[in-house]
Amino acid sequence: MKNLPLHFKILIGLVLGVIWAFLSSSLGWNAFTINWIDPFGTIFIRLLKFIAVPLVLFSIISGVSGLSDVSKLGRLGGKTLLAYMATTVMAVTVGLTLVNVIEPGSYMEEEQRIKNRLSYEIWLQDNDMGLSQDGQSFLSDPQYEQYLSEAQQGRDLSEEERKDLEEKMESAQQRKEVSPLQFVVDMVPENIVFSISNNQLMLQVIFFAIFFGITIVLVPKEKSQPVVDFIQGINSIFLKMVDLVMRAAPFFVFALLAGIVAKMADTPGEVWELFLGLGSYALTLIGGLLFVVVILYPLILKIFVPKITYKELFKNLSPAQFLAFSTSSSAATLPVTMECVEDNMGVPKSISSFVLPIGATINMDGTSLHQAVAVIFMAQLHMVDLTIGQQLIIVLTASLASIGAAAVPSAGLIMMIIVLQSVGLNPAWVAIIFPIDRPLDMLRTVVNVTGDATVSTLIAKSEGELTKY
Amino acid sequence: MKKLALHTQILIGMILGLIVGLISIESSGLSGFVVDFVKPIGTIFIRGLKMIAVPLVLASLIVGVANIGDISKLSRMGGKTLGIFIVTTIISITIGLGVVAVLQPGSKLSDDTRTSLLAEFNKNAEGKIDFAGAIRERGPLEPLVNMVPDNIFMSATNNSSMLQVVFFAILVGIALLQVPKESGSTVLHFFNGINDVIIKIVQYIMLIAPYGVFALIAALIVEIAGDNPSKVWELLNALLWYIITVVAGFFAMMAIIYPLLIKYFSNIGYWDFFKGMRPAMLLGFSTSSSTATLPVTMDRVEKHLGVSPEVSSFVLPLGATINMNGTSLYQGVSAVFIAQAMGLDLSLSAQITIVLTATLAAVGTAGVPGAGLVMLVVVLEAVGIPAGGIALIMAPERILDMLRTMVNITGDASVSVVVASTENALDKEFAKKHASD
Repeated sequence: MKNLPLHFKILIGLVLGVIWAFLSSSLGWNAFTINWIDPFGTIFIRLLKFIAVPLVLFSIISGVSGLSDVSKLGRLGGKTLLAYMATTVMAVTVGLTLVNVIEPGSYMEEEQRIKNRLSYEIWLQDNDMGLSQDGQSFLSDPQYEQYLSEAQQGRDLSEEERKDLEEKMESAQQRKEVSPLQFVVDMVPENIVFSISNNQLMLQVIFFAIFFGITIVLVPKEKSQPVVDFIQGINSIFLKMVDLVMRAAPFFVFALLAGIVAKMADTPGEVWELFLGLGSYALTLIGGLLFVVVILYPLILKIFVPKITYKELFKNLSPAQFLAFSTSSSAATLPVTMECVEDNMGVPKSISSFVLPIGATINMDGTSLHQAVAVIFMAQLHMVDLTIGQQLIIVLTASLASIGAAAVPSAGLIMMIIVLQSVGLNPAWVAIIFPIDRPLDMLRTVVNVTGDATVSTLIAKSEGELTKY
Repeated sequence: MKKLALHTQILIGMILGLIVGLISIESSGLSGFVVDFVKPIGTIFIRGLKMIAVPLVLASLIVGVANIGDISKLSRMGGKTLGIFIVTTIISITIGLGVVAVLQPGSKLSDDTRTSLLAEFNKNAEGKIDFAGAIRERGPLEPLVNMVPDNIFMSATNNSSMLQVVFFAILVGIALLQVPKESGSTVLHFFNGINDVIIKIVQYIMLIAPYGVFALIAALIVEIAGDNPSKVWELLNALLWYIITVVAGFFAMMAIIYPLLIKYFSNIGYWDFFKGMRPAMLLGFSTSSSTATLPVTMDRVEKHLGVSPEVSSFVLPLGATINMNGTSLYQGVSAVFIAQAMGLDLSLSAQITIVLTATLAAVGTAGVPGAGLVMLVVVLEAVGIPAGGIALIMAPERILDMLRTMVNITGDASVSVVVASTENALDKEFAKKHASD
């Protein structure tokens, strides 16, 4: 075991975790798994999270303060944002193409889809929202009358689902009411200690850290030196902590996976059934996400960094990818992403410490792709034909929403509600894809993290500072 | 005042506070004055101490772990500390059970008082029972999960997440040992400096200790007496035997168990230990808060008993959150007292269950504020005594809490002395010279 590379050990932990979960649920040991194994997964995520904020803070400060000239920072920032936008647009395009070609929503029975469509129009009427997006009306068409009574009953949600949905709708409502520039306003902290003590205010911490770092460059060197030394010392201590935690990562990942699967359903059979019901959707999404990770990103990298081989790329990034998969949180994975990008890809600290934390909060390629696929899938399921123009609105809203989404698990669903509302679809539809959101969230996070790592490598290359390739 | 020893000053403050408190009960104008204008001094004193507790733990523990210099030694010390914590906790519960079995306070409670007590404190009891229910629903490993901070700055802004700060500081210390010297040394210097500054601040705050203690005690008397002092006396009188039993248990810990522990497992004499710890014990008594007393406990143990900072900075913050001998003893006594008062017989196996659950509860509720009574509910339910029974013992809660804290602190300090002795980190002659400084 000793000599195996870390990513391999994590992979073993991951697989064993899933095997254990299936084994334990078929033997009826689920309670044991949830009580005695799952907590270690939680501990792992907490460990990574509490390291993430100080690491972002101190690494950005030391990265920025290491820049000899501040104008470089402006250039870097512009490039970073541009690159993130470009990758997001590409990811969404992949999603749109796939969902339009495969049409996962049309695999359901015709009859059921007509009923869906009718209940959607009833919902539109109830809420005075006028005609549906495609301008047709099934309600006034006599040929569908026979399905009407069944459609009126609608889909029954369980009490728990309804409550969960209401909560999510509420927070979506709050987000919608703010002005379009609110997210810029939200970037500026009111009290920096408060921002640091809240994992969801990462952007504020980034803002402060950049500001602080710039100021260090502008202060006379002899005065700033002790501060820089201290921050670099603290930074190396936190990096060492990541190291210490990662030594136990295979075990922690095992616990995490076992817990996730055990909590999802009582028996593995149920999980399987959930998947089958939404199989076409899940497969389309998984296909899209995999395409982005396995083909799109490597292709982009290959174009700009010809020296890197396909195999090397995955060897370099796999610890971060496995971790992203098991934690489904880009923030928790951030410490490891930084380590991978710096040590394996040769991106200098001054770039990675700037590009990656920003990416973890605003760049969510996987999430945007998921939004596009899911929204259009749901529209197809309800026989709502969306034009390319409408689909582009979805893309735009989804991309903007992904910037606003904090780096927390399942924020994607809240954003999806906003997207659905923006094109006049029923936000309650997210309940359809609730059940299998967690496993897809895991895959989404892999895309997000890989996207961040790819962009940071590109930026380093464009600055001529990529040391290894 | 300057020439008097610190503990004498505090003692004078306490006695004066007691006198002023007793006098002001008699006139309503004076008691209003005490609450409005004297009590704040005590509150300021406690806040001052609490203010520096978290930074002190953070800085001293980081420096302490980094100075240990060797992780295997750290884990050996950790194991030893936890082991002794568990042993002293079990001993204290057992003593509580023994005392209550001999004195039988519950059977001396008349039926009338029992009914009136139950009726009076029923409301308070219900709140605690609900809280205990919430605690019991947590998974068995929840305490372990809660030890790990989610966001360290969040934990540092909350006095009740001390264990998370301890965890973080230990991790920083370990990482500090492993990074190259040149990048670690600035950080170490920084925390060393902070540590010295905080220790100085503790000394400043201790300058007002006698006044603070005076204010705390005077306000306490006035508040306990409330509007109807004679009724309070009646209540306390009714529970006199219960109070005597608890106090007897505490006395046994302080006069028998800790002296034996110190005598056989450490290099210093109990008398020196006692002399050195006097100010901290008195402060624990008057503030009834281990966290507030922690800075002073650390100061006494290091500067007056000669325990090395590496050991004390590790053992004492941990002890303040998980090792509560006084609380455990109190639980043993109270559980059996309630059973006796309700006419229930506890078998030997039920008593063993009490020992086990109380020990687990002590560790499991670490860091939960106001945990004493909540833990008791957990223990009661484990042996099948109606949890509503805690209404019986709520009246003297405040006073017993003060004594409990004193025992808790003494327990932590004696564990730190024992660990230091076995690690050869205790100077034999030091305590003799400086104990009563």
